[in-house]
Amino acid sequence: MNRFVKIFVRASALLLILKALQPAIFASVDDAQSFALQAAEPYVKQGFQVREDYWGGDLGSGEKKAVRQQLFKGNEYWFWLGTEVDKAKVSVHVYDSDGKLAEQPDSWEKGHFAAAHVIPKATGSYFIIVSVEQSPDERTHWALVYGFR
Amino acid sequence: MMSFIRYFKIVGLLCSFALCANAAQAPQQINISQLSTKVEDVVVPLPNEIFGALNKLGTVNWRAHVRSDKGPNFTERPRIALLLGTVIADGFIAVQAEDAETVKDIGQRVLTLSKGIGVGTSITPHAKAIIEAADKRNWSNVRKELDRTQNSVQQAMNEVHDEKLSQLVSLGGWLRGTEVLTSVVNEHFSSDGAELLHQPDLLTYFQKRLQGMPEFDLPIIHQIQDALVEVKPLIDVGDRQIPPETVKKVNEITTRIGQGIVTKQ
Repeated sequence: MNRFVKIFVRASALLLILKALQPAIFASVDDAQSFALQAAEPYVKQGFQVREDYWGGDLGSGEKKAVRQQLFKGNEYWFWLGTEVDKAKVSVHVYDSDGKLAEQPDSWEKGHFAAAHVIPKATGSYFIIVSVEQSPDERTHWALVYGFR
Repeated sequence: MMSFIRYFKIVGLLCSFALCANAAQAPQQINISQLSTKVEDVVVPLPNEIFGALNKLGTVNWRAHVRSDKGPNFTERPRIALLLGTVIADGFIAVQAEDAETVKDIGQRVLTLSKGIGVGTSITPHAKAIIEAADKRNWSNVRKELDRTQNSVQQAMNEVHDEKLSQLVSLGGWLRGTEVLTSVVNEHFSSDGAELLHQPDLLTYFQKRLQGMPEFDLPIIHQIQDALVEVKPLIDVGDRQIPPETVKKVNEITTRIGQGIVTKQ
C-alpha cells in the first residue's frame, strides 16, 4: 500500500510539474498563428481574404524582425501579429521601400495582438517590422498573417 | 435579421479592439539599409492578389484567359511542380471568370499533379472541397481552397525537404499570373495597370532560388533563368512609369515561358 501511495504521489508531482511547464514546453509558432488568425477573424467578415501562408519565429524582449512583402496598389491589406504569451506586448508596423511609415491611423496594438492597415500608394516592396516590446518569457513565439481585399 | 445581428457583432468586436488598443507609436521614418541582415524572405503573392488589383482598374474579360486543356503528363518532378503552380493560377483565373466546369477540371488536375510529386494524400480533401464549392458556385470558398491547396502542397514538400520543388510551384504560379496580368494590361493599357508589374524584389528572390537548384538541369529551368534576366531591367524602373512597350515585351517573354511549361520538350 505504502509503495502504491509513493508511486501515486510521485506521478502526481510529475504531472503538476508538466502542467506548470506546459506553456514553455509545448507552445509553438502554430499557437502564435492561432492568435494572429483570431485577430484577423472580424476582418474576414468584412471581405478580407486571409492568406494561408504566414511568417513566424521567436524573439526576445525588445527584438525586432523585418519581413519584406510585395504589395499592389489598388488592394487594401491588414497584417495581424499574435503570440500565445498573453502577458507579452507586441507591435507591427509597415514601411515603404524608402523607410517611410506607410500604415493607416486605424492600425492598433493590444497586448499580445497587433495589426497594421495598409492601402499602398504604389506597387512595390514594403517592410513589415514585427517586435516583441515586452514579455515575461526569454523567447516569445510570434506569427504574422495577412489578408487583402 | 441574422445578418443585422452579425453586423453588430463585427462592429462590436472591432470597437472593442479599437477602444482597448493603444495608439500605435511608430517612428515616421526608419533606415531600411540597417534592416538588411534581419529581413525575412518574401511571401510570394497569390495570382489572385494581382487579379484583385486588376479588377479594380476596370472590367476584365476573364473568360478570354481561362485555360482548361489538361496538358501533358511529365515524369520530371521539377516540371510537375512548375506545372502545378500554373494550374493553381489557372484555377484563380477560372474563379474570376466564374467558370464552374473549368474549376472542377482544375481541381482534378491539381490532385493528379500532386500525386505525381508524392503529395497527393494531403491534397485530396482540398481537391474535393474545390469541386464541391465550384458546384455551389461559392467562389470565395474556391479561392480559399486554392490557397490552401498551394499551401498544403508546399508544406508537404517542405516536410520531406523538397523546398526547391515547393519554390517551383510558387514560380509557376507567379509566371502564369504575370502572363495574364501583362496580357490584360496590353489589351487596355493604363499606367496603374502597368505599375502592377513593379515587382523587382520578387524577381531577385526567384533568381536566387533558381541559382540554388543546379541539380535541376532541365531546358525549361534554364529558359526561365534567362527570361528572368531579360525581365528584371524592364520592371526595375524605380519611380519611373512602365511604358506599353515594356508590358508587351514582358507578355511575350512570359507567354513563351508559359508555353514551355505546359508543353513537352
